[in-house]
Amino acid sequence: MSCENSSCSASNGEPTATRSAAPMWIIVAALVILFVGGYYFDQHSGWFDPKVYAPYASGEKLSAYQPQSGEAAALAKGKAVYESVCGICHGSDGLGKPGQAPALAGSEWVVAKGFNRLAHIPLAGVNGPIQVAGKDWNMAMAAMGAALPDDSLAAVLTYIRGSWGNKASAVSADDIKKIRASMGGASVPCSCDQLKAMPE
Amino acid sequence: MNPTENKTFCASEIDASCRVPLLALFGGAALWLVAGLALGTAAVMTFHKPDMFADCPFLTFGRAQAAANDLLLYGFAMPAALGVMLWIFSRLSQSPLALPIVPVAAAHLWHLGVLIGTVAILTGESTGQTWLEYPRVAAVLLFAAFLLIAITAVATFGLRKARELFPSHWFLFAALLWFPWIYSTANLLLPFNHLPRGVVQPIIGWWFANNLIFVWLTLVGVGVAFYFLPKISGRPLTGYGYALFGFLTLVFFGSWVGIPQSAPVPAWLPTVSSVAAALAILPVLALALVVKKSACGAGVSCKGGPFCFIKFGMLGFVVSSVLYVSEFCPRYARVLDFTWFNFGVTQWQLLGFATMIFCGAIYEILPRVMEKDLPFPKLAKVSFFLLASGVLLYVLPLIIGGVEQGMKLHHANVPFAEASAVALKFLRISTTGQLLILLGALCLLLNIFVMTIHWKIGLLKQLIAAVTAPLESTEVKL
Ligand code: HEC
Repeated sequence: MSCENSSCSASNGEPTATRSAAPMWIIVAALVILFVGGYYFDQHSGWFDPKVYAPYASGEKLSAYQPQSGEAAALAKGKAVYESVCGICHGSDGLGKPGQAPALAGSEWVVAKGFNRLAHIPLAGVNGPIQVAGKDWNMAMAAMGAALPDDSLAAVLTYIRGSWGNKASAVSADDIKKIRASMGGASVPCSCDQLKAMPE
Repeated sequence: MNPTENKTFCASEIDASCRVPLLALFGGAALWLVAGLALGTAAVMTFHKPDMFADCPFLTFGRAQAAANDLLLYGFAMPAALGVMLWIFSRLSQSPLALPIVPVAAAHLWHLGVLIGTVAILTGESTGQTWLEYPRVAAVLLFAAFLLIAITAVATFGLRKARELFPSHWFLFAALLWFPWIYSTANLLLPFNHLPRGVVQPIIGWWFANNLIFVWLTLVGVGVAFYFLPKISGRPLTGYGYALFGFLTLVFFGSWVGIPQSAPVPAWLPTVSSVAAALAILPVLALALVVKKSACGAGVSCKGGPFCFIKFGMLGFVVSSVLYVSEFCPRYARVLDFTWFNFGVTQWQLLGFATMIFCGAIYEILPRVMEKDLPFPKLAKVSFFLLASGVLLYVLPLIIGGVEQGMKLHHANVPFAEASAVALKFLRISTTGQLLILLGALCLLLNIFVMTIHWKIGLLKQLIAAVTAPLESTEVKL
């Protein structure tokens, strides 16, 4: 059955579309969103790392929160203890604070070859005049480290001996244990002269 | 030259070829729409009168709500979309439907699948995956029926005379490929085999839901709207470039959206999703501009007619898509996740966009394929106002209530129970909207139903007339 006569309307009333190109602005907008989206992806995706979940955004950030071992672990622990126990006076930059506590960065007491004298300072405290990096101090520091466990104190000392440009050897928990034992429980603050009388 | 190649067909011939398949698809669809809306209303009664269906396990919230959603999508939106698609394809090809018997069989398979699926959900045999609740038998039926209709559509597409494609072709053709791809993938990976374990399962589920509700519905809804806007207004579709750009960006970027920001999955998944969501604004914008250029100032006074449906549906498309995309903006997601907001947006996409477009299309097509006016043209207009006001009354409170609920959830001093109770007063308004939508759907059902009855009676009369007609010997020519 075809449509020969005009008694039925041929189906030619179908809609048409006038051809035209996509306007430039929307393509530019697409590129801008792609660019911003790419930046957002870089900042938040962890680059397809299957271990990275929100709210963390990258493998590095995540590993900063992971438990560590070895030297890095000791340093991280030392930093944490230092910041909660010593940093209030000596500053988290180790530069000390005027009228409050001398610097640890560049202090001859801290970077001495041995750490026997150094360990006595937080274990027993210091009292009276003391010269630190060419500056005279005459104050007192209580036995701030006496209550710390051996490994924490060792970690703090390792940290201050190895940070802010200081480069001295690490201190182990066993070393602290020995020094503590040699003090025989005495915790009377030392004077500068008493410290100097001890072996380095 | 082959004479059939030049054959031109009357519009009425083309329409008549679609009559039986379309009646089968639309009739069942309208029935499922009413059933889905009724079930959805029954489901929310849990919040108004918790003990109302306490002794009736079929109507517990978890079952009724899932069955209702599936009925709106698989029961109504899909067969309606497929029917409209078949008609558009044969109209655009200017040729009667190829293989007209296939879609009739497919329609029955489809409706059987929906029936089995719905009964399974209500009796507690759901698979438990969102949008994939139907058990294996029903899923296979739906898949097979879709393929059959797709084959018919493609065959009809192949009969077209003009080689040049109309924008609706791209959208509808893509939709024909999209659904079998996502539905088979999701079904094979999730309810059929449970191959991936653990966190991969919800990822597939989110991917599927996004591709179904956002990408697929947009493809068909916009494809149908792009046909009817110029058709009814009698002007060519303007903004071809925007349409092409919108189509390509939707297909490229739209399918990456879907992983919620709060999902307990590696950070790159939600991050990719939110970047894709930002990009998915582009197709929404581009398609909205095409509609604006083609519909505004067309001088068509719609007064509740099909043009109104299509315009309202496209407005719903733009607003619901923007809200949908905002769910994937980390800043808003923090507040909106786990509230009524996302539910409201999905309902808007289903009812305010897809349902409106398909209802409008059905009202436009039915009188043509039946060669008869609607039995209740006034009811058809009333149903527009019922549906439109119902949709707004239904979804807006859910969305506003969702935001308020989210703010309360995030307030450290507000107890959880209080944050949930906030939504109640909004739910009361929204249920009123649901009832209006239900009334509107009943108008549609009534029109289709009465039309079908008239047609069947007509057929019967013809048959009787043919049987009882005296056979004149002169008429018998050999
Ligand atoms: C309450 C403040 C305070 C705290 C906490 C404190 N110190 Fe001190 N520290 C001082 C003062 C004051 C002096 C100088 C004492 C003096 O003048 O005799 C000093 C001196 C020292 C010195 C010797 C001088 C130098 O700067 O090298 C060392 C080493 C030292 N402290 C280490 C520590 C360690 C390790 C800790 C943490 C376990 C610590 N301090 C916690 C106040 C403090």
